[in-house]
Amino acid sequence: EVNTAKDSSMALPEFLGKAELLKQGAEARVYRAQFLGKPTIVKERFKKQYRHPVLDEKLTHRRTVQEVRSILRCRRAGISAPVVYFVDYTSHCIFLEEITGSATVRDHITSAQQPDSCPDPQLERLAQRVGQILAKMHDEDVIHGDLTTSNMLLRLSPEDGESDLVLIDFGLSYISALPEDKGVDLYVLEKAFLSTHPNTEALFEKLLKSYAASSKKSSAVIKKLDEVRLRGRKRSMVG
Amino acid sequence: MQLTHVLELYPDHSVTQMLFKEVKNAAELRQKAVEGKIYAALINPTMLVNPLQVLVAANKAVHLQKIGKMKTRSLYSEIIFNLSPTNNISEAFKRFGISDGDDSVMVVLVHNKQESKLLSDITALVDGRQVQVEDVSSLSDPAKIKKLYKVTPQEEKSSTLLDAVVCRMATKDVM
Ligand SMILES: Nc1ncnc2c1ncn2[C@@H]1O[C@H](COP(=O)(O)O)[C@@H](O)[C@H]1O
Repeated sequence: EVNTAKDSSMALPEFLGKAELLKQGAEARVYRAQFLGKPTIVKERFKKQYRHPVLDEKLTHRRTVQEVRSILRCRRAGISAPVVYFVDYTSHCIFLEEITGSATVRDHITSAQQPDSCPDPQLERLAQRVGQILAKMHDEDVIHGDLTTSNMLLRLSPEDGESDLVLIDFGLSYISALPEDKGVDLYVLEKAFLSTHPNTEALFEKLLKSYAASSKKSSAVIKKLDEVRLRGRKRSMVG
Repeated sequence: MQLTHVLELYPDHSVTQMLFKEVKNAAELRQKAVEGKIYAALINPTMLVNPLQVLVAANKAVHLQKIGKMKTRSLYSEIIFNLSPTNNISEAFKRFGISDGDDSVMVVLVHNKQESKLLSDITALVDGRQVQVEDVSSLSDPAKIKKLYKVTPQEEKSSTLLDAVVCRMATKDVM
């Protein structure tokens, strides 16, 4: 037991040193590795030098807990999200199932979208499913916080052929019942969607329609979305 | 026949699982474990879906031991505690530990690289037939597992039972 402290501080850096770095973000690094014999994504939140260490530790811990809670809440409601294999609250690492054999919704739309932008029934179907899943997520009071088409994965299911839509990256997520928070969540997606995929206003409209039809509490959310849009527009007119 | 996995985070620790059926001396084994004469976790396989479940519990136990934050007194009781969805230690033992009348048992050991002596010692103590560890799924009781872990019907449609269980085990401290 002499080397316990040293062991525990060395285990993770050594492990991550051998892992494949997928993304170096502002708050976290994302790695790919084998863990418990499974293809795993490791998300490591690191220290922010400019923040007070005690505050930084608190915020980082809270974010890690929120991410894990949101994933579990979604999964309980039947929304696909990566399995959590392990959480290290000392180094703020989350070990998640890697969604293998998947493509992002972003790549899917980009490759499926035709240059003449005539409506594609399959893309419309996808937009509807995204709307339904986000409605279900908001009905569980999970706010994703960073909705983009890159944070939605399509995994081909071997059984029924229809691909499974998996939500990822709950790093900015939190729990809230406020229509305003849900409206902003959708607004973030709208901004990202329309800038990533040009000429998809009609497609996004389908998504929202399907959201509105699936959620029990959608009317207040859509109203807030309209307000947030208006604010956004006013701000851009002033600025 | 047993399954040994080197923990990726703690490569000097291996987890070995051994499954026995037709066990006739469960009471004696349990007594020896209580007295500290068996250094292993003795688990009732009906609550196990898959060997991965045990690996998740063992990895977490070794981690908490390293950082000095175990909730129970030994690594082996911590493995049993980690399998349970609740924070009630005695309930964890009741559900996941073996009982005197059990006729099957999953033995879980954490050890250094080559400790075949440790494994053969345990094998010698068990009066039963060793089978493939993967056979554990044929002994599990999905209805009981779903109830204990509170797996919802919606969740069952979009997830395997194993994934639902593992996710709860890994996150129970913040739920
Ligand atoms: N669970 C996962 N399965 C597969 N790929 C993932 C997973 N989580 C993250 N990624 C990939 O890693 C990138 C960065 O992760 P994130 O910071 O969580 O968005 C994502 O855009 C995905 O391409």
